[in-house]
Amino acid sequence: MRPRGRSVDLNFYAQLLLNGIVIGVIYALIAMGLSLIFGVLEIVNFAHGEFYMLGAMCAYFLTVNWGFGYWPAVLIVTAVAISLGCVLYEALLGSLRGESFERSILLTLGLSMVLQNGAVFLFTTTPKMMATGLSYSNIIVGELRLPLSRLYALGLGLAAFAALYLTLYRTRVGKAMRGVAQNRDAALMVGIDPRAVSRLAVAIGIGLSGLAGAALAPVYAVHPLMGFSFVFKAFAIIIIGGLGNVSGAAIAAVMLGILESLVGGFLPLVMVDALAFISMIAVLLLRPQGLFGRGVRV
Amino acid sequence: MFNMRLTVAAAAFVALAATGIAQAQTGSIIIGASTPLTGGVAHFGQHARWGAELAVAEANAKGGALGRKIEIDFQDNRCNPAEGVKSVTQMLSEKKYAAIFDGLCSSVALAIMPLIERAGVPFIVANASATSIAERSGVGGNKWTFKVNPTDASMLDALVGWLDKEGKAANIAFLGEDTDFGRAGSSGLEAALKKRNQKLVMVDFFQKGTADFTPVLTKIKARKPALLALYAIDADFQNTIRQWHGLGGGVPLTGRVLVDQVPKEIMASGFLDGTTSVQPYDPSVDTPANKTFVEAFTKKYNVAPMLISFESYETINILIDAIRRSGNASPAAIRDALATTKYRSILGTELEFDANNLVHNNAIIFAIKGGKVVIIGMSKT
Repeated sequence: MRPRGRSVDLNFYAQLLLNGIVIGVIYALIAMGLSLIFGVLEIVNFAHGEFYMLGAMCAYFLTVNWGFGYWPAVLIVTAVAISLGCVLYEALLGSLRGESFERSILLTLGLSMVLQNGAVFLFTTTPKMMATGLSYSNIIVGELRLPLSRLYALGLGLAAFAALYLTLYRTRVGKAMRGVAQNRDAALMVGIDPRAVSRLAVAIGIGLSGLAGAALAPVYAVHPLMGFSFVFKAFAIIIIGGLGNVSGAAIAAVMLGILESLVGGFLPLVMVDALAFISMIAVLLLRPQGLFGRGVRV
Repeated sequence: MFNMRLTVAAAAFVALAATGIAQAQTGSIIIGASTPLTGGVAHFGQHARWGAELAVAEANAKGGALGRKIEIDFQDNRCNPAEGVKSVTQMLSEKKYAAIFDGLCSSVALAIMPLIERAGVPFIVANASATSIAERSGVGGNKWTFKVNPTDASMLDALVGWLDKEGKAANIAFLGEDTDFGRAGSSGLEAALKKRNQKLVMVDFFQKGTADFTPVLTKIKARKPALLALYAIDADFQNTIRQWHGLGGGVPLTGRVLVDQVPKEIMASGFLDGTTSVQPYDPSVDTPANKTFVEAFTKKYNVAPMLISFESYETINILIDAIRRSGNASPAAIRDALATTKYRSILGTELEFDANNLVHNNAIIFAIKGGKVVIIGMSKT
């Protein structure tokens, strides 16, 4: 199956590794928001993939129908997604707490169906291809190739991780968020407003999801069901990384992306799809708190 | 007194029954349809619905069938066999449908076939292409299933015959969706190549809805095949084509490539030059009936028809023709009428069902040359 010759072999492995890093960062963009929302609110957001899809749809219409450039579209979509996160929290999630776990699942599953079918009704199921100047441009180094759109998604993913990390560990707001995640009542006793912190966590989480959608609109076909394929993998990733641990989710996502790509270079593609869930089961059996879980969330 | 009451009740019952019978004979003839209206191939389901509804509207404008209006009820199957079985079971239990139309996905059509056989209702397949549907129909066992579109095996045999003549049938890799459609493509190609002492050098399948194909495409590129046979539709097709371009695949495609859906930037770049494809239809086929169909479809839905819309349009027309000839629109009479079909396709050929209840229309072989799609031949399937 592998090509002959040492230099060709090296190019083959390097291309698989490069693809894997990009896929991993794409997974991380989606999984970090999911992990943050779970960490602070103890809510599994089944509608997370739909916000990613809406972000991609918005980016598509902004660039193709309304003539915006790629970067302004990314900014607008992220800002809209953050606002949508605030609305989502105030309208739906604010009334839920950790003890309403079943209600939160039903609520977010229902929201997911409404958003997905609403998108089918409004935008039809026709796959849309965002064709900007960068859609068909490639960076070529020797035998290695990386589409420019993937390079941008990689950059946005790394920037989002850095910004989120700095927010969580270098700001008072981040400290408050970690405080609420660790002990909501104790945080309240020391003067932190859990409601405001939770609202911010949902806004950032949905904002990251919207950003992922905008970043990936030039990479993948945009259609109402595009969130589905990523969201279940994102669930596996946040369990592997340690539930509620944002950094753990990001690292697990990149590890999974590389693993999938390397294995996909040798085994049938259908087996690659099972890797995330096999890894999740193995982690649950051997280290139930996750690879990077320390019993402390966010 | 008692006798009088009994007489009145009996008269009322007879009157009600007579009204019911009269309604059954004068009400609409209803066709049941199960197709993906949501899910990964809902875009194709939408075109299947449009094509079928256009045929029904045209028939009703000409007086319907047997003096009655024709209606078609669509239910969603999400391209999922379980959903297909559920929707058709429900339709069959209502006992008001003269025939069942399609399923669109091969896996769904295959799951529906035993149900309609037990219920004794004709099932007419427009889009599902798996060869096994025809193999199990007519003399193959299921007398109630009729398939209008060509099988994968027959189309691929036509394509591979052409490739072989051009000396291009060697070193072909295969990538297809892990469904009956993709599996039929793989086995159809294997069979057609085997007849010419060739075989597929690599076979891989993917789950429908996969977004990232870079691992498998990198593997295929490194294997350096002469052609890549691609069996993907809808968003999967768009993602594969874009990622193949991004990786600089450098290998033309073949198989059932949806040449009309290749992004125009990729097409114009010449990246896919040398690609060959076989399909049962293309809107550019130059016959008066096809031109009329394309015009009517585009006017009604603001988009040009595609393969799926054509197949549904033609299949419903064949079904309506059989209903008109059946005399009473009963399922058994429609089945017998379908078996004796002689119908002129809008592509210009005369269609009839063979012993496997399969129609043999022409397949069109396409090539991409200089960044443009050209028809290079038509071949009987």
